[in-house]
Amino acid sequence: MKFEEIELSGFGKYPKALCKVARPNGIHEVLECLKSGSVISRGLGRSYGDASVNDSGIVAESLIMNKFISFDDSSGILRCEAGVTYKDILDTFVSRGWFPAVTPGTKYVTMGGALASDVHGKNHHKEGSFSSYVISFKILIASGEILECSREQNADLFWATVGGMGLTGFILETEIRLKKISSPYLVNKAVKLKNLDELFSNFEEHDADYLYSVAWMDIVASGSKYGRNILLLGNHCESTELTEKLRRKAAEKYVEKKISVPFEIPFTTLNKLSITLFNNAYYMKARSKTDFQHYDKYFYPLDFILNWNHIYSKSGLIQYQLNIPEEAGKDAVDKVLKKVVASGGGSFLAVLKKMGDQDGILSFPFKGYTLSMDFPVKKGIIEMCRELDAIVLDHGGRTYLTKDSILDEKTFKQMYNGLWEKWMDIKIKYDPENKFTSNLARRIGLCPS
Amino acid sequence: MSLLVLGANSLIAQATASHFAEAGHEIIFAGRKQDEPEKYANDFSIRYKVNCRAEYIDALDYPTHRKFVEDVLSKTPQLDNVLIVFGYLGTQEKAQADFDEAHRIIDTNFTGVVSVCELLAAEFESRKKGNIAVISSVAGDRGRQSNYMYGSAKGGLSVYLSGLRNRLSKSGVNVLTVKPGFVNTPMTYGMPLPKPLVASPEKVGKDIFKAMKSGKSVKYTPFFWWWIMKIITSIPEFIFKKMKL
Repeated sequence: MKFEEIELSGFGKYPKALCKVARPNGIHEVLECLKSGSVISRGLGRSYGDASVNDSGIVAESLIMNKFISFDDSSGILRCEAGVTYKDILDTFVSRGWFPAVTPGTKYVTMGGALASDVHGKNHHKEGSFSSYVISFKILIASGEILECSREQNADLFWATVGGMGLTGFILETEIRLKKISSPYLVNKAVKLKNLDELFSNFEEHDADYLYSVAWMDIVASGSKYGRNILLLGNHCESTELTEKLRRKAAEKYVEKKISVPFEIPFTTLNKLSITLFNNAYYMKARSKTDFQHYDKYFYPLDFILNWNHIYSKSGLIQYQLNIPEEAGKDAVDKVLKKVVASGGGSFLAVLKKMGDQDGILSFPFKGYTLSMDFPVKKGIIEMCRELDAIVLDHGGRTYLTKDSILDEKTFKQMYNGLWEKWMDIKIKYDPENKFTSNLARRIGLCPS
Repeated sequence: MSLLVLGANSLIAQATASHFAEAGHEIIFAGRKQDEPEKYANDFSIRYKVNCRAEYIDALDYPTHRKFVEDVLSKTPQLDNVLIVFGYLGTQEKAQADFDEAHRIIDTNFTGVVSVCELLAAEFESRKKGNIAVISSVAGDRGRQSNYMYGSAKGGLSVYLSGLRNRLSKSGVNVLTVKPGFVNTPMTYGMPLPKPLVASPEKVGKDIFKAMKSGKSVKYTPFFWWWIMKIITSIPEFIFKKMKL
């Protein structure tokens, strides 16, 4: 087995660790990795922290195990290897009238990664997370056996793997259900709002009419501008609703346009002044309106700029995503937001959305509200996040492991109280010697003791 | 419109074939490992909605090559594009000490290709059309102590292809010699290569597709390898022999 020594991190570029990285091509090479030491699988490295980093063993990339296996054109059921990405699926199936039922905000995510993180999208409050559309998957476990898992077959392993951060085995194949669409466009409605009160009442007001909903929050603005936001709502567009021009465009082959941030910007361009300027401009320019948007622009606006994380300079960024129960609602969001605004450490990427019920063990979503923010790594940020942790815990909430790079074991176990124990029983059953582990797992105590 | 790929497991081959498939060609993936060509054929038929199938070929099993070519042609009589990607890098040091390794390097990269390529060339020559592309290497342009076994087999292959091109040009059959530099594939994975010089298989695949479609004779990919090799081949031997390359 061939390895490369690479300094690895997640998409946030923090923390970093020197890892032995393999790129297995086939099951026999995954087995070889397992013989060489502990393993964590890695797709495109889009989790933000150290979930796909393992400096005490091997990091096994799934990228060339990325073939489609079968597709049923009548049901939309796709079986593929775990290295297949959202981009592969979109490029292949949108033109045939199929769309991923749940998509995160980037298409550079593999199916293995989507399953291990149980990713969610703007439709979570109505349609659940990725796992809700997973029929089954095939996984290679520590003993070297290959198991097929579904809600009926090896159900315990199914639920421990969904949102299980790759710690139950190496996911080989996934079988998922795609959603039928009739055009690549979405109806996009923007509602410009002044504060949190308006946002929470608008969430309810538009609940019945829109499938997708998320709000951009200005987390720098203070005083009378505090809490201002833009609620973005959307639905898949029927081809009959489109203008003649868009109908013609929809029939053509879609060609992506992209720009790239080619290198790490050597200093932090993100400070309170630049973000305030950006947010002011963004909010001022925004109008409450309804228009048509192509799916690529609607779901993946940041994919337009390759390596956008480079703008955070070498020191990287911390993503902080919390979910708090519905009943804690506006008050908890208000407390978090006030703390962030006071610190002045926020960024222009902050979103708030409503979440629905979710099955799972370590899966992040549950019915309530999720707020996601990113902060440039600098002095005082970790301390501030710890203060946010306390507010989140206080209201019975939790943070998202896929975004996390700072949680400690004690806080994690409080947040996922009753769940991590259940998960650990299954982990011990299938991987008693902890063959599948990562820096994240060791940091938060997701290892059999 | 169809493409026969010999060496289906190669990422360069798959990347090249993806452009042919997008343009509506039937793809025939042939390789030594039983299930792999089938996996790729299956993926391509879903991804590009084109006819695809898998065939079995072992580059080193020369006596079977005639039957292989006959089979392919009986199923796809109008075969018009061939991409040969067989290759084995081997280990230079091992090949110096153990002739079996040297033999395998030479046979996979040279003898095996010649064996099957001649049969396909004869068919295309009689039909007076067709397109043959073979992956050689920049390593074949000049022997270096670090990999002259592989380099000499590829060098021999480049000379063979030059002769074949000369023979077939009057029949309207194009022969393309592809000379990739460093490519990010399982073959080079883990090697300490200068990162800016390492190309993706997708980039190389696109170059090969374009070169095949435009009837080019020799294609260095990425293009800057033409310049690098120009410099390397122009160093006088009395200096070159003392260099650590």
